[in-house]
Amino acid sequence: MLAHFASEALSGLDGSAVEVEADVVAAAPAFSIVGLPDAAVQESRERVRAAIVNSCFEFPSRRITVNLAPADLRKEGPSFDLPIALAFLLATGQVQDGCDGRGPLAAVGELGLDGGLRPVSGALALAESLRRRGVRGLLLPSANAAEASLVTGLEVLPAATLAEAVARLAAGGGEAAPPADLSALLCAAPAPDADLSDIVGQDQVKRALEVAVAGAHNVLMSGPPGAGKTMLARRLPSIMPVLTRAEAIEVTRIYSIAGLLPADVPLVTQRPFRAPHHTISSPGLVGGGGTPRPGEVSLGHLGVLFLDEFPEFRLSALEGLRQPLEDGEVTISRRLTSVTFPARIMLVAAMNPCPCGYLGDRGQECSCPAHRLHQYSSRLSGPLLDRIDLRLEVPRVPPRERRDGGLGEASAVVRARVELARARQLHRLAGTGVYANAHMNARHLRRLCVLEAAATALLDRAYERLRLSARACDRVVKVAQTIADLEASPTIRSAHVAESLSYRTRSRHER
Amino acid sequence: MNARQRFGRAAEEAAAHHLTRTGWRLLGRNVRIGRGELDIVARRGPVLAFIEVKGRRTSTCGAPEDAVGPRKRRQVARLAELWLAARPWALRGVTDVRFDVIAVDAASGAPRVRHLPAAFTLDG
Repeated sequence: MLAHFASEALSGLDGSAVEVEADVVAAAPAFSIVGLPDAAVQESRERVRAAIVNSCFEFPSRRITVNLAPADLRKEGPSFDLPIALAFLLATGQVQDGCDGRGPLAAVGELGLDGGLRPVSGALALAESLRRRGVRGLLLPSANAAEASLVTGLEVLPAATLAEAVARLAAGGGEAAPPADLSALLCAAPAPDADLSDIVGQDQVKRALEVAVAGAHNVLMSGPPGAGKTMLARRLPSIMPVLTRAEAIEVTRIYSIAGLLPADVPLVTQRPFRAPHHTISSPGLVGGGGTPRPGEVSLGHLGVLFLDEFPEFRLSALEGLRQPLEDGEVTISRRLTSVTFPARIMLVAAMNPCPCGYLGDRGQECSCPAHRLHQYSSRLSGPLLDRIDLRLEVPRVPPRERRDGGLGEASAVVRARVELARARQLHRLAGTGVYANAHMNARHLRRLCVLEAAATALLDRAYERLRLSARACDRVVKVAQTIADLEASPTIRSAHVAESLSYRTRSRHER
Repeated sequence: MNARQRFGRAAEEAAAHHLTRTGWRLLGRNVRIGRGELDIVARRGPVLAFIEVKGRRTSTCGAPEDAVGPRKRRQVARLAELWLAARPWALRGVTDVRFDVIAVDAASGAPRVRHLPAAFTLDG
């Protein structure tokens, strides 16, 4: 007897249809799976066999051949357990498909030996892909239901055990889980636990970071240990605009595929903050692996990627950041496939001014030999720095300020200003496919940025005096545009250019 | 015929007796195919079974059924395929094909016969 059941495989974020066929005949008994299965799919035989017996179904002594079509697509992971078991039960006549003409169902899920269903990774992307293909409903483990029900237009049919899934199939699906209420989930999101007002002093740096966030500019902070670079960076997501519905789903999709979505959290509602250690490998940072998995740049999508001890990172890893910073996505090529993950990050790098950390500090003498200084700063040269619009010095807070400095503004206040500035940018950049000042190219700049005469004059002078390159000049204008947006000024004035220039001058010791 | 062979014969006798008593029809005993041999081929209703008989006189080497290792399983499976290929009619009316083991345990006096249905399959 022959039967088949629909399932879905993921390659990166894209799904492709997999048809699970089961053929059961009277012949010398064997259970084989064909169709380019990997080790986890091969082991599915043992899980399916045990789950079927322990769910009080028959596992007859016959020759069972399971084919996963198309045969040229590599099948990975345990998510085919459930469709294999269902196709087998259909083929042996132990369940009748109760869908009769209402449109087919698909299934994903890992089986335990006891017949329980375990969650799979990437349920959201799987459900979206099935919806696009016009599949009516998806049988899946209960633990994945909340996440999958973010998708509208697909019946989400959760089951805790194989027996429940079989009962649903016999009933043609049964009652679907209610669709998730996105707005409610977003409203119920807890406020970030780190607030900008936790940080005493550092008003100039806070202002610069506000500018950076407002225009989605990348930032490099340099300062002695303990000055507060990490604290500041951690609070950046709290002043970024709140995630929109579409953005929350984008982030959730990536976390789900990476298997990082907590079981009780159906939706990621906070902007991500990723702070990988500087020993991270290149595949860890940009993504990779035999089955390409998202790296830190993708896990930081729509949030902050914080690289502390920036010069200590492997050069190969940092070089890999160039494409994602440029394109907002990262493409990983493999022999049979190439996979693209989104990676629109705000890069926040931090470094000590020198290996010992005290160069230029008022209180403590730097103990680094001259050649180490040169080595340290020369690691930073190159095209990566070109993508960083703001360079900030974060000095140690002077004792009096630390003692007496009042609380700064709360994150929510700053975020309100940032959101207004972003709205202005969106309006101006409408139709360009760009959403923030940092991503404008030279043509956008000429067309859209209006400098007042005094501002142009100041820029020209700086171009001469500071010997700026043309590209550096463009960056100054981009940042000045963001400052103007924060002030709701329709044109860029000389004060904006002056502030922008202050964020790019390299400090003495960097020369 | 030495003592071991005699015991082997006796074990197969006991197994065959057990099968006929439990309603099986024996289709063949000691079926030689090439260099190999299938101990018993039997049928009951829609089930066709290839049965490997294993005897033990002492328990020093473990339970008899454990002595049917991967190599023996592969051999029985291959012989069964050959047996079936030569007799296409043998599958008429059959739904299940099984590899069974009958363990004859004489470790504690009188031989005890245990029938282990579907003891193994082609894939192990």
